[in-house]
Amino acid sequence: MFYIDLNVKLCKTKQVNKMSEIKTKEYEKPENIINPNSKFSIEVDNLRKVFNAKKGYDDVIAVDDVSFKVKSGEIFGFLGPNGAGKTTTINILIGLLKATSGTAIINGYDVQDGLYHIKQLIGVCPQEPAIFKFLTGKEMIELFGGLHSMNKAEIKERTNKLLDILNLSNASKRKTKGYSGGMLRQLNLIIALIHDPKIAFLDEPTVGMDPRVRRATWEFIRSLKKTNKTIFLTTHYIEEAEKLCDRVAIIDYGKLIEIGNPKELIEKYSVNNLEEVFMKITGRRIMEGM
Amino acid sequence: MNFKRIRVLLKMELLKIVREPAFLFLMLLFPAVLTIMFGFIFADPEFGMSMETVAPGLFGYACIFIIMIVAQSFTEMRDQGLLKRLNISPMTSGDFMASEIISNMIMVIFQVIIVYLLALPFGFNPNTKVLGMFLAFLLMIVFSLSSVGLGLITATISKSSGTATGLSFIFILPQMFLGTFIPVTATTKPIAMFMPSYYATNALSAIFSGDLTNSWIITGFTFITIVSLIIIIIGMFLFKKFGNK
Repeated sequence: MFYIDLNVKLCKTKQVNKMSEIKTKEYEKPENIINPNSKFSIEVDNLRKVFNAKKGYDDVIAVDDVSFKVKSGEIFGFLGPNGAGKTTTINILIGLLKATSGTAIINGYDVQDGLYHIKQLIGVCPQEPAIFKFLTGKEMIELFGGLHSMNKAEIKERTNKLLDILNLSNASKRKTKGYSGGMLRQLNLIIALIHDPKIAFLDEPTVGMDPRVRRATWEFIRSLKKTNKTIFLTTHYIEEAEKLCDRVAIIDYGKLIEIGNPKELIEKYSVNNLEEVFMKITGRRIMEGM
Repeated sequence: MNFKRIRVLLKMELLKIVREPAFLFLMLLFPAVLTIMFGFIFADPEFGMSMETVAPGLFGYACIFIIMIVAQSFTEMRDQGLLKRLNISPMTSGDFMASEIISNMIMVIFQVIIVYLLALPFGFNPNTKVLGMFLAFLLMIVFSLSSVGLGLITATISKSSGTATGLSFIFILPQMFLGTFIPVTATTKPIAMFMPSYYATNALSAIFSGDLTNSWIITGFTFITIVSLIIIIIGMFLFKKFGNK
């Protein structure tokens, strides 16, 4: 136990120092932005997604009139059991799915017609690590740096720093084929952040990590806030949400059922933690669906 | 299209071919093994055929297998969520397709060189110079476009990489039997007339004969260019609309 705590403390100091060394990008505000003065990074209004089922089956309402706003520089937790609609919502926000109705605005751009601009501003860490097995960790990061039109020096600088922070420098020289699940998750996270995105969508970023690596990753995510990034985090780990998030939204059966600061929600429902908040509202546990 | 993005994607595609044994075999070792095997078989006078007549078909045969490689590669990337991940980046579908087409064109150049050099010791003696060789390379590069397009169509209708391997033979077998090294008869000719490989093989035979005024060269180029463009456009459209999910 002492060993784990010591490591976490060491990681914490090291990461915070290194993160402050990473330069943050200046983003231009092109002319076709909807609302350039908005203080919100993400604005979702009456979002709805219905998957049409085959003949004889009912349609599936994955996201049902969901509305919320995420402030710039905020760590926003999106909680809910499996199948609640978290990933569908993220997929709409990043442009992989088209909403049936409603609007989603990312940093002032509508996802329907400003997707190219949005793609330059966001970093996405998908739930399942999507990694080319024949590339080394470093090559994989460089590939995505190149796709974001970063120059070689920029890619090298950020790659080395991010690898160092997450203690992946040595492994990054090897092909990803031999990586453990935790290492793949970390690499997944670095790829999402290589281009220094203004908004990061992290879909269950710590699933499959051992407790020590998970805590180190939490510190890393927390340190991103210091660079004024907006983090949209989905997670099953209530402890993770409580520790990291400024605000959380709870979604179940596609509906947003509660939103607020974790402490305020715990006080509001007179319970001990967020898990109990969820149980009180829905009558089931967040981890139940897993 | 962004050249920087095309360059990084191209590097990734080429590393895949070099580092993935299955792709390396199909792209480079398979044409080599095929040429050596056919060389030994056809070098025997008892067989009644010579390497001279068979070699042009071997160039086409190697190129046809790009269908399987492209289909496997795209279905694998789709299954592993890699296409989605690439789609989230600022990369456009044009950047991605351009890198895919260029990487396959580079491989075709290597295939032509391998088959050409390995066929020489088995009696292949082309009566051609620099212009002829240039035309042969160009023809195969254009022909590879149709294989990439058919690979994309196969990937669109395949639900997994395994299915893609099987289904790719829908396009490989007719082109193989009706337009490469197997002689076309009066019975099979009406069908062979629709196969790009038939035109590629005949045009190559004409190029290697040294007669660059042979009508098969212009006919082959025209047919293959038109058909390849149609197929690649259909393939890209279908894959973008239905296969990328």
